[in-house]
Amino acid sequence: MIGALDALLLLALLAVPLSGLLATSRPGRWLLVAGYVAQFSLLAALGSGTAPASALTFDLLGNTVGWRFDSLGWFFAMVTVGAAGFAAAYASGEWGDAHHANGGSLRWLYGGLQINVLAMLLLLSSSDFISLFIGWELTSWSGLILMLLGGSEAIRAALRYIVYAIAGGMAVFAGMLVTHAAAGSLQFDVVQGAVASMSSGQLWAIALLFIAGFSVKMGTMPFHLWQAPAYAFSPGPASAFLGSISARMGLFAIALVAFKLIGVSQLDRLSIVTDRFDLRDLLAWVAVFTAILPTFVAMRQNDARLLLGWHGVGQGGYMLLGLVIADELGSAGGLLHVFNHATYQAILLMAVFAVIHRTGTADLNRLGGLVARMPLSFLAMLIGIIGLAGLPPMNGFVSKWMIYRALILDGQPLLFVATVVSTLGTVLSVYKLLHNTFLGQLRLEHESVREAPWSMTVPMLLLCVVVFVTGVAPGLVLQYVAAAQQAIGLEPVAFILGGIEADSGSLDMLWITAILFAGFGIGAVLFYLMGGRSKRVHQLDNYAGGHFLTADVQYQYSDNFYAGLMHRIKPWYRDTFAWAESALVSVLGVVSSAARGFFDQANPASWALIGTTVVMTWMMWHALA
Amino acid sequence: MHWLELLVELTLMPLVAFAIGLLMVLMMRRIAARLQRRIGPPFLQPLYDIVKLFSKRTQTSHGLLHEFGIVMAVGGYVAAETLLPVPGMNGIAEKGGMITLLYLTMIPSLGLALGVGQCANPNGSIGISRALTAMLAYDIPFVVVIAGVAMHFGTTNLVDVVAQQQAGGIEAWGVTQMPLLALAGLFALQGMLGKQPFEIYVAPAEIATGPMVEMGGKFLGGLFVMQCFQLYTASVLYVTLFLGGGENWITFLAKSFAVLLIPMSLAFLFPRYRTEDMLTMLWKWPMLLGLLGLVFVGS
Repeated sequence: MIGALDALLLLALLAVPLSGLLATSRPGRWLLVAGYVAQFSLLAALGSGTAPASALTFDLLGNTVGWRFDSLGWFFAMVTVGAAGFAAAYASGEWGDAHHANGGSLRWLYGGLQINVLAMLLLLSSSDFISLFIGWELTSWSGLILMLLGGSEAIRAALRYIVYAIAGGMAVFAGMLVTHAAAGSLQFDVVQGAVASMSSGQLWAIALLFIAGFSVKMGTMPFHLWQAPAYAFSPGPASAFLGSISARMGLFAIALVAFKLIGVSQLDRLSIVTDRFDLRDLLAWVAVFTAILPTFVAMRQNDARLLLGWHGVGQGGYMLLGLVIADELGSAGGLLHVFNHATYQAILLMAVFAVIHRTGTADLNRLGGLVARMPLSFLAMLIGIIGLAGLPPMNGFVSKWMIYRALILDGQPLLFVATVVSTLGTVLSVYKLLHNTFLGQLRLEHESVREAPWSMTVPMLLLCVVVFVTGVAPGLVLQYVAAAQQAIGLEPVAFILGGIEADSGSLDMLWITAILFAGFGIGAVLFYLMGGRSKRVHQLDNYAGGHFLTADVQYQYSDNFYAGLMHRIKPWYRDTFAWAESALVSVLGVVSSAARGFFDQANPASWALIGTTVVMTWMMWHALA
Repeated sequence: MHWLELLVELTLMPLVAFAIGLLMVLMMRRIAARLQRRIGPPFLQPLYDIVKLFSKRTQTSHGLLHEFGIVMAVGGYVAAETLLPVPGMNGIAEKGGMITLLYLTMIPSLGLALGVGQCANPNGSIGISRALTAMLAYDIPFVVVIAGVAMHFGTTNLVDVVAQQQAGGIEAWGVTQMPLLALAGLFALQGMLGKQPFEIYVAPAEIATGPMVEMGGKFLGGLFVMQCFQLYTASVLYVTLFLGGGENWITFLAKSFAVLLIPMSLAFLFPRYRTEDMLTMLWKWPMLLGLLGLVFVGS
């Protein structure tokens, strides 16, 4: 009898060639969606908690390499397979046909998606450093397949990604070498036992190498430059999948190595400034800056995909922040945010790609007024942005609330204020996204645009239901989060169906949502039952300050949407990080061209002569002095 | 608590808030009149205005979202009032707390922004972009204040905050314990009310009243109701955080109206700031005061 984990991995493996075979026809693509449903069911059947190990195991350099899910990996795996399933369903109907007709490769798209899922399952179920490294590299390289599908812009971004990914992989590998030298093994349990007896120098090296290596995938600052363009320009479903879960593999790996293996008590040995500021504080500040700066970069974007891509980077900061607070509420908030972000980010990207499907552009200065033509896509994006901005009653609010509360209780008011700054920036940015796409004036060329086909709207709306239901009843997800917390040695969060109940302030979303909708009901009664009847008018029936409006006059405020704000904050960040990256590139360029110039020297003897003269002059100088 | 009792509280809290809000609007207009040497409107004028706006014959709608925006703007505040404890009534304040309240009050703003967006008028859109920038400007110092208060009282539960202050008397009030934060909170309050000098987003002569440009009839009436709630929420929240809440209705009302006197008197003495200058202003002085206040709370 084959084990459940092996069945899952085999199914995922088998689905790769099947994806190549079946992806070009509509029924074939639906079969592949059914394949994801099967993978999801198998994974769900495995259950949170200690699952059976894979039969696939071998010995390498005295280590037993194997695969087995714990509650943490399982939680991430559920989100991964779910995201892939929704992405596959989104592309299965008209979108796939259109993509095919435009010369896009569906075989590579579906094959690449399934390879990604397989690689991530291998990473998430790794049970020693070697299987972790195998999974890590597979995940890094398989992500590249999806990024390369997006054409020239995407390829440029993907090439940048490769450099980052290789550097990150090197750091992880170096971390493994140091770990092996310090602990004498690459087995998780042996390393776990050996951490306490390591010197703080060894521990510093291990922690820094692993965290830096994994942070590259997270897009944590200062490694944040590659992610938004690399994810944004791949084809719709691939972008939705990458944007919702791919970068979180870095968070998983950090949670695994820094918390499960090293542990909070050992991490706290790594102090930077006496006992006041240690590695966790440093990470918290890195996370906060990752939450803030990319958010304000997102606000400046004029391409909807890039705007969302930058928010993906920023939201990663919240997750890391929640995790490194490491108390029950904060770490639960961070892990819950992984799920929440995956759901609303998928909706948002799907809605943007639905707009692209119908209008051919994601340029926020060339859209507007589409709410009248694509109401369902609008609704999906509205629910998505409420989630992303972290307002009640959607699920993004709950995870962020938990992080805020943890920061206040932990006595970190500055971090709390900084996270709220990021949230407020997100509110501004997502309103711009919604306004410039769906609100304002409908352009003449979009008069005849229709709603996206049901094969695209249904996955979006189903995800909206998930975002809403898990926002109203976060306890549904928190039970798995609590199990994941236990798996990495943290206190599990105490939760109720509606949220958190604590002496120092509770949150019950069931009540909040009920009262909010009751409020809306009262508002609707007041508005619709009282007073005169309202009359619908055309959008051009507008106050234009005395000007006469016709449909061919562009009368939409979209460019440089937050002009006043940008005027104030622009001098504060003059693309410092892009400058630093290009400076690094030029330094390397100078060094390599110097080396090449030396290598290609037509008359090397002249260099030898100059060198010898310099050395002899120096010696004589010293001899005389 | 018996469910019937809770239901009565949940119904009464928004109603009371609305009534007090109407009086606050009246007070604002009377102050403006006094400063401008006019007599000012009669007692029931705010109510007359709402009735007038709702019963206008011309009600211009730009679409479903335009209407729903107003519903959200009013409904969001109706919901928010049940999270704000008043004398004798806590509603569901213990299910939320100050952070939830802060975010719940963004729902009406979002509703307004959606409704204005549907109107397809760039003056409205510019107004919303400025209003959201203003929110970013005043909410950052306000969050510093919230953080300080939550740390000082060790809770985010507003009922606890009030109870702790009332148990200790005036020495335990937020304003005596954290004067710097209370001062920073006043700046934020001024911004929150959307009055001069922070009302560039309305700018009637420049962008034709911004968000209100396409609002007439009951649309404007809805926004009027929203303003009543807004005044009430801002002042009662300040009273709750810094002035010990209300021991009884008389002191509660006295404190709430007294708090509003300050920003309203200032409002009519100042011209408006440009957006950039508003940001500089609100990110400099209240932030300095607030951060200094945080240091004292922390130590």
